[in-house]
Amino acid sequence: MRHAIRRLSVTVGATILLFAMAFLAPASLLAQHLAEFEQRMTEFTLDNGLKFLVLERHEAPVVSFHTYADVGSVNEVLGITGLAHLFEHMAFKGTKTIGTNDYEAEAKVLAEIDKIYEAIKAEQRKGLQADRSKLEELQKQFKQAQHEAQKYMVHDEYEEVYKLAGSAGFNAYTSWDATQYIVSLPSNKIELWMLMESDRFCNPVIREFYKERDVVMEERRLSIETRPQGRLIEEFLAVAYKAHSYGIHVIGHMSDIQTITRPEAEAFFKKYYGPANLTIAIVGDVNPQRVRSLARKYFARIPGGPKPEPVETVEPPQIGERRVSVEDPAQPFVLIGYHKPGINHPDNAVFDAITDIIGMGRTSRLYKSLVKEKKIAVAASGFQGLPGNKYPGLFLFYAVPAKGHTHQECEEAIYEEVEKLKAELVTPEELTKAKTRARAGLIRQLDSNSGLAAQITFYEVITGDWRNLFTQLDQIDEVTAEDVRRVAKEYFVKKNRTVGVIETTAAEN
Amino acid sequence: MRGSSFSGIRVFVFTAVLLCCIASSCTKQYARPYEDLKYPKLGDIEIPDVERLTLANGMRLFLVEDHELPLIGISARIRTGSIYEPADKIGLASITGIVMRTGGTVSKTGDELDEQLERIAASVETGIGLNSGSASMSVLKEDIDTGLAILADVLMNPAFREDKIMLAKIRHRSSIARRNDNVSSIAIREYEKLIYGPESVYARHTEYATIENITRDDLVAFHKKYFKPNNVMLAVIGDFDTGEIIKKIEKAFEGWQKADIDFPDVPKVQYEFKATTNVVRKEDINQSNIYLGHIGGVMSDPDYFALIVLNRILGGGFTGRLFKNIRSREGLAYSVFGLYSSNYDFPGIFYVGCQTKSESTVYAIRAMTEEVKKMTESEVTDEELALAKESYLNSFVFNFDSKGEIVSRLMTYAYYGYPEDFLQKAKENIEKVTKADVLRVAREHLKPDKMQILAVGRPQDFDEPLSVFGPVHEIDIAIPLPLPPKQ
Repeated sequence: MRHAIRRLSVTVGATILLFAMAFLAPASLLAQHLAEFEQRMTEFTLDNGLKFLVLERHEAPVVSFHTYADVGSVNEVLGITGLAHLFEHMAFKGTKTIGTNDYEAEAKVLAEIDKIYEAIKAEQRKGLQADRSKLEELQKQFKQAQHEAQKYMVHDEYEEVYKLAGSAGFNAYTSWDATQYIVSLPSNKIELWMLMESDRFCNPVIREFYKERDVVMEERRLSIETRPQGRLIEEFLAVAYKAHSYGIHVIGHMSDIQTITRPEAEAFFKKYYGPANLTIAIVGDVNPQRVRSLARKYFARIPGGPKPEPVETVEPPQIGERRVSVEDPAQPFVLIGYHKPGINHPDNAVFDAITDIIGMGRTSRLYKSLVKEKKIAVAASGFQGLPGNKYPGLFLFYAVPAKGHTHQECEEAIYEEVEKLKAELVTPEELTKAKTRARAGLIRQLDSNSGLAAQITFYEVITGDWRNLFTQLDQIDEVTAEDVRRVAKEYFVKKNRTVGVIETTAAEN
Repeated sequence: MRGSSFSGIRVFVFTAVLLCCIASSCTKQYARPYEDLKYPKLGDIEIPDVERLTLANGMRLFLVEDHELPLIGISARIRTGSIYEPADKIGLASITGIVMRTGGTVSKTGDELDEQLERIAASVETGIGLNSGSASMSVLKEDIDTGLAILADVLMNPAFREDKIMLAKIRHRSSIARRNDNVSSIAIREYEKLIYGPESVYARHTEYATIENITRDDLVAFHKKYFKPNNVMLAVIGDFDTGEIIKKIEKAFEGWQKADIDFPDVPKVQYEFKATTNVVRKEDINQSNIYLGHIGGVMSDPDYFALIVLNRILGGGFTGRLFKNIRSREGLAYSVFGLYSSNYDFPGIFYVGCQTKSESTVYAIRAMTEEVKKMTESEVTDEELALAKESYLNSFVFNFDSKGEIVSRLMTYAYYGYPEDFLQKAKENIEKVTKADVLRVAREHLKPDKMQILAVGRPQDFDEPLSVFGPVHEIDIAIPLPLPPKQ
C-alpha cells in the first residue's frame, strides 16, 4: 500500500546524511579509484558556460542524467518564497513545441490569463473597498481564459515522451541550495534526452501555472501542516536564522504560494536558469565524443549570460540561546542546532568526524547513552548539512524520546555528550573507526549511475571540483582528537544554539 | 542466459531527418521534434550467470560474482513471519528478528558484535516481517571471514539477552504511542484493517498488552522452530570467487542440522464485496487522507499481466489517469495514487487515494470513483494502451542494470514458488495485452459500486457530509491503555 507518488518533493535533509558520509581515508585503494575515475571522466564546457561531466560506466546499456541548477529557495526573497520549488514543478509542463499544438495562439491566451490575474490582485488589494461584482466578473474571465488555454495544450506530453522511451526515475527536487532534474534512459536514447532537456531550459513554457500552485499548496499541507515534525523544522529554521534565507522553508509561506504570478516565475527562470548556472552529469553506457557533439548541437543554442550573484546576506552571530516549541497532540521530539560554517571551511571535515563519533551506528555516543544505557530515547543522532552546505548551516542533534520520557530529559542527555566532547579527547579507536567508515561509505556509493551523477554534480558545484568526492579524504585523515575538542568548544556553546521541541498537548495514553 | 540480447522496442523509428532546425534557432517551431530522432540499436544486456546450489544441510544458495567494487554482500530469506505468531503475542516475530542480532550470540554480546562490525565498516542485520524473515551482511571483501562468521553465528546461536529484549520492547511501546502522530500511516493501517478484517494476520498490529505477553522463552522457541538451514536461502553477490566462497559458507554453517518444520495453518483471506463509508476523526489537520477500494489479487492469476497494464493506465506515475486528472487538471492533490495490487501468496488490495484539503474531500472521492468507473465502462484508448505497454517494454532493461537486483529477484521467485523466468513470462504476456483484455479484467476485478471508503480528517470542514455515500462508520483510533505493571 505504500505507493504514494513522491515526485518533485522538497528535500528536507535525509540525503544530507549521505553527503556527510562522503569523505574518506587515504587508502591506496581510493587513490586508485580516483585515478580510474579520472580516466573514465570527460569534462567540457560549452561557450555559453554550460558545464558537462561525462562518466563512462559500461555495466549495463543504461545511462543516468543529472542537471544541477545552482538555484534553490535560498535565492528567494519575501513575497516569492516557495518559487524555486514551484518553478521546478513548472519545468515538467513542456516547451514551445512540446505540450502544445499551437504555441502562438496559446501564448496569447497565457498573456491574457496573466493580465486578468493582475487585475484580480489589483482589485483585491483595495481590501474592503474592493468591488465585489467586478471581482466576480474577473474570476469568471480568469476561469474562462484558463479553459481556453487548455485547447492549445497537449497535456502531459513532456512526461509521456520520456515514459514511452522507457525512462526510469524521472523526477526533480528542490532544496535550499539547488534544484535538480533527473532521469535515466536506455543508453540508445541519449539524443532524446539532449533534445528534451535542452528545450526545457531553452524554450520553457509555464502552463497550467495556477493549477500547479494548488498542487503545491496541497504539498505544503501534506509535508508541513499535517506533520508535527515538518512544522517543527519550519519553526526551528525561522528562529535559528533571522537574516539569511536559510531561515525560510523550501516549501514557502502559504500566502506567497497563493499569490505568486506566472510572470514572477518567468522572471525567476530568466535570472537563475542561464547555462552558466547549470552543471550536467551524464553517467553510464555512453561514448563521450558522441555526447560532446550532441551537447554542442542541442545545448549551444541556449544564449549565455552572467552567473547570478550569490546571496550576500550574512547571518549575524546569535546573542543568546533561542528556543521554539510546537504544541501538538503528537509525541515529543527535540532538535538542537549550532551555527557552523559552510562546506568549504577547513573545520567541515572535523564536523564530519564528529558526526560519525556521536551519531552513526549502535556504537555512536548518543545511541549508547540515550538509547542503550539511559533508555530515554528510541533514536538519537547528530549530523550536518541542513538547511544547506553552500552557506553557513547548522550542526544538528536530535532525539526521539522513548514512551514515558520527555524531551527535557533527552536534551539534558545530549548536552552531557556535548560537554564530554569539549572536556575530553575522543579516543584513537573512535577516530580510526570514523575514517574507516568514511572510506567504506564512499565505496558503497560508487555502484549506481544515478547516485554517482548526484555526487559528482554536488561536489563540482558546491566545492568547485568533482574530485573532492575523493580528495576530501585527505582532510578527514588529518582530523585529530584535539581538532574535535577545539571545534566542539568553539561552536557547541549555548549562545550559538537554537532548540526546538514538540510539546505534547493532550495526554494521549 | 549469458550474453542473451534484448533490443528495446524502437518506438520512433522514422527515416533520418536532419535536425538542422533545432540547431539553428532557439525559438523556431517544429512539430513533435522527437519523432524525427533515430535511435541506434540498444547494446546487449549481459545477464550474469547465477550459480544455484543446495548445500548438504538443505540451505539454498544463489551466487553471482561482481568485481566492480571490493565489496561482498549476502542477503538471506528465512521462511517465517508474523503470520505465524499467536494473536495474544503480536510483535513476537518482530522482536525475535531484532534481538537475534542486538542480543548477541552465545559467545559474544550484541554490544561486542556492534564494536567488531562497526570498526571494519561492516554490517550484519536481521529482521522478521509479515511472511518472511531476512538477514543481511555487507563487508569490504577483505573482511569476508569476519562478516560471514558473525552472520552464521547470529542465525544459528542467538542468545536473546534480556537487556536487549527490554530495549526492543521499549522501541515497540514507543511506536505504539506514536502511531497516531502521522496521518498517512493512520490511513494505511486502518484501511488494511477494513479490507482484511482487524483480526487478520495481514492487518492486525501490536498493542501494549501483546508486547507485555512476550517472554524470552517465546523468542527462543520462535527462533528454534524456524531457523533451520533447510529453511534458509542466501543470495551472495560481490567481489569473490564462487568456488571459494561456497567453501567458506559451508564451513561457516557447519554443524547446523536440518529439521522438518511444522508450519501453523494461516487462515485464507475471506472477502465479501460491500460498499462502506468510514471516517477517522483527526481534529488538528486541514487535509484529508482518502482511500477507496476493495480486495486485490495474486500474481499467479492469469489476469495479472493485463492488470499490470490497467495499473499503468489508471495510476501509473505521472502519466496515469489519476495523476493527470486529479492532480494536473484539477489541482486537488499533490499525492494521488491507485493500484490493483497483487502479492505473491495472498491477495493484495485494490485502492485509489489521495491527500486533499478538507474542503475538497467529497469532491475528490467522487472524482476518483469516476476514474475507477470509467475503467470498467469503456475501452482505454490506443494511445493509452501503447504508452502503458511500450513504456514497460522499453524500460525492461532497468530490470537488469544491477547484478544484486537480478540475484535477489531469482531468490524471491524461488521463495514464493514462482518460475525463475517469471519476469520474461510477464514481458511476453504484456506484449499480448489488448484493449479488450484491459476492459475485461477491469470488469472482472474492479467493483466501483462496492468500494470501501476511508477518510482521515476533520469531517466538519468537508465540502459535504460523508453520509452522501451511505451510513458513516466512525473508527475509534484511541490507543488501548497498557496493563498495570505486574507485581
